[in-house]
Amino acid sequence: MSTSTPTATGSEQVRTVQQKLEQLRDLFADAPEVGRKALENVLTELKTQVSEPRTRMESAGRVGSRQGNVSELTIIAPFAPGGAERLRAFLQLLDGNFDGANKVGSLHDMRFVFLDNDTKLLFCTAFDGDWDPYIDDFVTQIPDYLDILSCGLEGWPGIRSPEVKDYLARHQITAEGWYVAHPDLTVADISRLKRVGQAVDEFLDKVGD
Amino acid sequence: MHLVDRLGGELPRSPATLALDDIQATVLRYRPEPYYGTHVMLRIDDQRAGRELLRNLTPYVASAAEWWRAGEAWISVAVSFTGMVALGLPADSLRSFPEAFRSGMAAQSDELRDYGPNDPKNWDAPFGTGQVHMGVSVFSDSAQAWGETMEMARHHYRRFAGITELSAQDFGAQPGDLNPLGYRDSIGQPAIEGSGVEPLPGQGRPIKAGEFILGYPGEGGAPLPMPHPDVLGRNGTFVGLRKYQSRVGTFNRFLREHARTEQERELLAAKLVGRWRSGAPLTLAPSQDDPALGADPRRNNDFTYADDPHGHQVPLGSHMRRMNPRDTVMTRLADVNVHRIIRRSTTFGAPYDPDATSTEADEVPRGLYFLFLSAKAMETMEFLQQEWINNGNFMDLGDERDPNIGLQEEGATFTIPRDPVRRRIHGIQTFNVLRGGEYFFMPSLSALTWIGGLPAASTRL
Repeated sequence: MSTSTPTATGSEQVRTVQQKLEQLRDLFADAPEVGRKALENVLTELKTQVSEPRTRMESAGRVGSRQGNVSELTIIAPFAPGGAERLRAFLQLLDGNFDGANKVGSLHDMRFVFLDNDTKLLFCTAFDGDWDPYIDDFVTQIPDYLDILSCGLEGWPGIRSPEVKDYLARHQITAEGWYVAHPDLTVADISRLKRVGQAVDEFLDKVGD
Repeated sequence: MHLVDRLGGELPRSPATLALDDIQATVLRYRPEPYYGTHVMLRIDDQRAGRELLRNLTPYVASAAEWWRAGEAWISVAVSFTGMVALGLPADSLRSFPEAFRSGMAAQSDELRDYGPNDPKNWDAPFGTGQVHMGVSVFSDSAQAWGETMEMARHHYRRFAGITELSAQDFGAQPGDLNPLGYRDSIGQPAIEGSGVEPLPGQGRPIKAGEFILGYPGEGGAPLPMPHPDVLGRNGTFVGLRKYQSRVGTFNRFLREHARTEQERELLAAKLVGRWRSGAPLTLAPSQDDPALGADPRRNNDFTYADDPHGHQVPLGSHMRRMNPRDTVMTRLADVNVHRIIRRSTTFGAPYDPDATSTEADEVPRGLYFLFLSAKAMETMEFLQQEWINNGNFMDLGDERDPNIGLQEEGATFTIPRDPVRRRIHGIQTFNVLRGGEYFFMPSLSALTWIGGLPAASTRL
């Protein structure tokens, strides 16, 4: 399966805001009335917003998008026979407690969605920086968890295989749209800011007493 | 003086399972003390001349046999991808090299974060032009042996009209073997399994040889992919060369602006690197330099960060701790043993001048030819440049960069952890600017012989 699409870079970016808006209006001419009206209602506001972008979607390497320090990874891969059942049992055991992911230190979230009657897995995550420079670290540090999570997928070569990067890139699809509240903050930054916030509160509590 | 003498003539031995007599000496021999040498960059315009040069020179290329009691002077030979093409290697061999090696260091500037002043468009000739085909280096512990060996090497390559010397850079011969910013360098090296010698104190457990030399299992259990045929790849390794110009004026001004006394300046200089100028680590000498400690290879690397988790002695962002975090608990999961490199740092040009503060002093030819060797040198260099040099997230330092070889942006900071509050220095500058770089393959001795003897039939250009 090769469904990757180009990211919003290159020719996409050179198109002016005006051209993009015009194209949108053209496309919405055929939209249901509620949609057409809604677009007219927000058109001025939309124009201001996109003229002064707060952030920009960049490429996160081979596939995927990146905003500031944060990248997105979306994978759709077919399950091998019995794979869905095994993965579901493992995920139910963890019940949201991914200590291994905590250890990785760069994962903002992960989502496992079973599609089409348990025949495919949709996996989505937001993470800091790039994952592929760390593949050797995963191999020596947490190989078992990655193989347990992925061995139910058809053709999974094993985390130790030199093919693993190609396997993931082959099944990865770049998101068309993606929102990040704080593109400048890594997981480590957020943890630090929490600690700093608590320390400042303690300090202020003492000063204010 | 060679390693075994520096260590007092005794070295605990372990079984040598590597083919030391086939691996080039530079892979395992430490830089001598004192050291002298030359890096020569050659272009091969005539394939037959190139192969004949290899046939003539290979008998003089030293092997790593008994590398711990190295002889006087030695030669190493390394070939770039364009050099492999110029030597007429078979197409399937050429294809079997990793993509980053085939495209060359200059073309990998995005992956290596070589932007702005470090951009390949600002590099010195002949680097990044694709013309550097072969790197021949001579290392020696005496000026005389260096001169004689260099003369012999020159005699061989100057005989051919089809071989051009693009550049020849002498290095070493520095007072006290100090680097261009005035520090003793190249102290911490990885211990390599099967190399015949027990780890030195503080080196940690030996790392699987496959991380550094092709044909052996790496830390992940399997040998890394290698160029074929087997004779070409096995016992070879990849070399990254980085030429840095040291901005001594900027460095000295920085020290003066942020420290009031000479004592404070030296402490700040030590905090940047993690070691005093003598090489003494801040872990073992937290408040003042200890030259005897710095000079003792049995002691100067013998420490962990177990008692310094927050970096009160060695800052988390210092050069030494970034390049080898040892037992530091990092904010990103990483295995320190899969990102180690063998480092052969060679200083060239005018010695460090602690009183130079002008902008002109920045451009006095003076700097480093830094060689890093690894079975996956391209991948490791990209990792280090992206994650541990030009980023701070792995040590919970936000956007801070390596104070020694990082590319600093406007308003960059350097944090010195202290009790009760850390000191954060604003306006740290880029002290070492990249002025050139190449990727090479350092073949085994049998691979050099194989290339030199390739049949003419398969060599049509």
